[in-house]
Amino acid sequence: MKYNPVTEEILAELREIVGDKNVMTDEEKIEAYSHDEIPAEQYAHMPEVVLTPNTAEEIAAVMKLANRELIPVTPSGARSGLSGGAIPEHGGIVISVENMDEVVEIDYDNLMMVLEPGVITNNVNEMLEESGLFFAGYPMSVETCYLGGNIAENAGGGKAVKYGVTGRYVMGLEVVTPTGEIVQLGGKRVKDVTGYDLKQLIVGSEGTLGIVTKAIIKLLPKPTQRVGLLALFKDEATAISTVPKIMTEGRIIPTSIEFMDKLSVKTSCEYLNEHLPYQEAGAMLLIEVDGNKEDIVNADSETIGELCLDNDAIEVYVADNHTTRERIWSVRRNIAEAFKVVSPHQSLEDIVVPTANIPKLMPYLDDISEKYEIKVPCYGHAGDGNLHATLVKNPDHSMEEWFEIEEEALADLYQATKELGGTLSGEHGIGSKRKKYMEMMMSPAELNLMRGIKKAFDPNNIMNPGKIFDLE
Amino acid sequence: MDYNGVWTLGEARDGEIKEVSFELLSRGRKLADKLDEELVSLVIGDGITDQQAEELIKSGADKVLLMNAPALKDFIVENYSNVIEDLIEEYKPEIILAAATTMGRTVMPYIAIKTDAGLTADCTELDIEEDTGNLLQTRPAIGGNILATIKTPNHRPQMATVRPHSTKAAEKDESRTGEIVHLKFDSSLLDGRVKKLGFRKNEEDAVNIQDADVVAAGGKGLKKGENFALIRELAGYFEGAVGASRDAVDRDWISYPYQVGLSGKTVTPKLYFAVGISGAIQHLAGMKTSENIIAINEDPDADIFKVSDFGIVGDLFEIVPELNKQLAEEVK
Amino acid sequence: MNIVIPIKQVPETSNVKMDEETGTMKRDGVESIINPLDLYAIETGIQLKEEYGGKITVITMGPPSADKALKEAIAMGCDDGILLSGREFAGSDTWATSYALAEAIKEIEDVDLILAGERATDGDTGQVGPGIASWLDLTLSTYTSKVVDVNLIDEEVDYTTVKQDSIIVERMVEDGYEKLELPLPALLTVVKEISFPRLPTLRGKQRSRKVEIPQWNLENLDMNKEFLGLQGSPTRVVNIDHPKVTRGGTILDVREDGNVEEAVSQLIDYLKAKELV
Repeated sequence: MKYNPVTEEILAELREIVGDKNVMTDEEKIEAYSHDEIPAEQYAHMPEVVLTPNTAEEIAAVMKLANRELIPVTPSGARSGLSGGAIPEHGGIVISVENMDEVVEIDYDNLMMVLEPGVITNNVNEMLEESGLFFAGYPMSVETCYLGGNIAENAGGGKAVKYGVTGRYVMGLEVVTPTGEIVQLGGKRVKDVTGYDLKQLIVGSEGTLGIVTKAIIKLLPKPTQRVGLLALFKDEATAISTVPKIMTEGRIIPTSIEFMDKLSVKTSCEYLNEHLPYQEAGAMLLIEVDGNKEDIVNADSETIGELCLDNDAIEVYVADNHTTRERIWSVRRNIAEAFKVVSPHQSLEDIVVPTANIPKLMPYLDDISEKYEIKVPCYGHAGDGNLHATLVKNPDHSMEEWFEIEEEALADLYQATKELGGTLSGEHGIGSKRKKYMEMMMSPAELNLMRGIKKAFDPNNIMNPGKIFDLE
Repeated sequence: MDYNGVWTLGEARDGEIKEVSFELLSRGRKLADKLDEELVSLVIGDGITDQQAEELIKSGADKVLLMNAPALKDFIVENYSNVIEDLIEEYKPEIILAAATTMGRTVMPYIAIKTDAGLTADCTELDIEEDTGNLLQTRPAIGGNILATIKTPNHRPQMATVRPHSTKAAEKDESRTGEIVHLKFDSSLLDGRVKKLGFRKNEEDAVNIQDADVVAAGGKGLKKGENFALIRELAGYFEGAVGASRDAVDRDWISYPYQVGLSGKTVTPKLYFAVGISGAIQHLAGMKTSENIIAINEDPDADIFKVSDFGIVGDLFEIVPELNKQLAEEVK
Repeated sequence: MNIVIPIKQVPETSNVKMDEETGTMKRDGVESIINPLDLYAIETGIQLKEEYGGKITVITMGPPSADKALKEAIAMGCDDGILLSGREFAGSDTWATSYALAEAIKEIEDVDLILAGERATDGDTGQVGPGIASWLDLTLSTYTSKVVDVNLIDEEVDYTTVKQDSIIVERMVEDGYEKLELPLPALLTVVKEISFPRLPTLRGKQRSRKVEIPQWNLENLDMNKEFLGLQGSPTRVVNIDHPKVTRGGTILDVREDGNVEEAVSQLIDYLKAKELV
């Protein structure tokens, strides 16, 4: 499909709709909207105009205009994404929800909150601090990401073992559809089987089916106690084999079970100058339990710790206060940063495999590492099989070599993932970055169903085109 | 209470009186004038000449109590505190000020216990309460987030350590006169238990960051230890010192003596560069009283910008080399 | 070698946000932790125990809930804990605090070494360590950055040249490091450079849960009541101010426009105007 450019006449109309000050065309300013957190420049794409509307009605009017003129529209949040989901692949209009950052309502009686999409996820929990409640849709980018993007990507993160992903907490959405209708999906109802669950279709649709302009989210009582355990194992297999036992033998669902392979641990510890006996460890698990009774949380952590030791853990460290918790989490949190020092160019993946297959993935990663002479650290959320296998550019390779290697190595990685019953993305989304691997992962029938849904929502394919899959 | 006079505890090494001793006199002079009492500088050491003692008088002292003895060449807390306690007993000073240096912060609490005196650490302001004549001592606490004013109503002497470089030494007044009292060292006061076995000076570039007029500090944003070269170069243009945030020290990019902040050193230079430092409360506690703060950081929301007089948001690896380049031209 | 380590429980302040209007810290839900600088004393003690044997007693003065800090130290590898807790200690300044701690330490048998953090991150005085040494008339090394050697009389070897137990340390001063030999018992306050604190292990935690922490106060300890708490403290806090932090300086953002040269040249102008170049 051929899209039309944003002409002066259209700009004038857009100014009419959203107001002069909410229309940006200055190249220096709109450059920021051409990329997300993927470091590689080849995924960037400039918009023609960036709008910062204030209401759903304004967005609806823009969508109607865009349909009439066949101009692509890409929704944009805080651009902390890692798949190119908010990049205007075909130029056109970017709608940034940055001005729509109001808290509409905190409903303590229903334990829900109504928010606009531009609210920073972390701020939600800061607002709730004194109420004893929290929002469990909690990606690692919590300090920067907007709620809207969080919902559009159905973000996961480090607490998904116990709390699941963002979608679980989305009760209702106000959405501007690609054709410019404003629809209310779901609501403050815990149970609802009245027709298709369209709101869950919007969750994780990466901005291809509409723009969220309001969200009703569910709140949970906030746990007051947290205990972290850092368990050192001799190898990956021993570490991973401990994970199911925590739930079967220990009968405990931890908040987080994070996995770090030897390379990740070593690089992070060296970067942090952390003096743990990491040299001996082939892998580490970082397990956290939370709750409200100190005794129970301590007992749970003890059970898990004992299980780790029974399963040949070399050592288990216990972190039950801020100082020690910070120390063990910082090993996990600084892995990406530590590799950036080795090489700023990396492909941060978030493949997901059945949990028990994690150790089986390791030899494949070793093969990829050897074949392409690159480092392939692997860490991530062991509790749900979602792993950040990361391809790190070898500083000796030229950028051209790296681009070739990245493409081939990713294909190898995804092939291995598929063989193990896994798939492309657990939490970052497909966006533009992983689109070309979709056919490798999904059957034509499945992809066609998705295309049918897309067409039903967006007959002219103007809403964030070029993402997830191609229409033809 | 028949206590009288304001004392400052001078510091000397190898017979040389240190700069902090003169700074203390500025503090002491103000208090002595308000109380209309004598300002005395006590200096203990070995080989300190009258000529040097005269300098203390020119800087505001009315009297210098000078005790020279080979046994007092080195600061050994047990010996120094015996000597000072003995003098307190004899002279009964009303106020004793020392610098909040490794010496002052060691000997003062040791003496305070023995003499039942109230002691306030690391004061930034000192004054005299109008009606009572009590010493009002103001000091930052809880990482500099509060300023507490403290007094010692019923105990004498009133003792305080004063943050070095929190005040300037007075211009020397060549016409000032005063008395130099040569005290005789009573060797029975020698404790003799602790032996000093040696001294190892810091490496060449380790300017004492608390003495420097300009400090250029680097943090986590530098990404690796080698990149401190940028900071060293920057500091070099000002003949300043290099500092670091806790993150940088914890990562072993630079050693602990360079650490600025709550668990490191407090600095109050004329000019402080914070490069790649986000400005955690702990770090701010160590530098936020600097006269001019320049911040360079990638994150526009970094707290360091709240305390900075001039900030540049951006990539430090572009900004600092450019800054060094332009400074090099200026220096030329 | 028997070691005593006085520690302090302090509010965890690294993540505390400031209320910009009042200039006060938001202290809601702030956790209490072991004073970070005390961890270096604890680690040093454990390393000395590992090499020379003996026992480590941690002691703190604080509310009953401060036993958590003692337990954490025990989980790291210390043996016993003593909690000085009672209304009579309330309002103690550094003079009264060091008195009470010194009196309690007197009750512990055969103490060879006292290790303390350089200072606490809340009060920030660094006076209690030297104060205890003064009360107990112990030799003192502050700002200790290294334990160089420990000489202990070996009673089974009569040809030993060691006449008296001693410890050789380096202490960090402004321009370098002093090397001192202190006869034991001695008190060292230590700086961060001295060690790298270990994390408590599961086994350590389990052991610490079983350890009973005795609570000491005027009821079971012979102390001069006049020297305790507010009435024993020579100093009085008469005023608390909250200084404003924000300076509102010029902030230039070069991320989008990339005009680094211009921004730096404005910075140079600023420095020139302030006569700093």
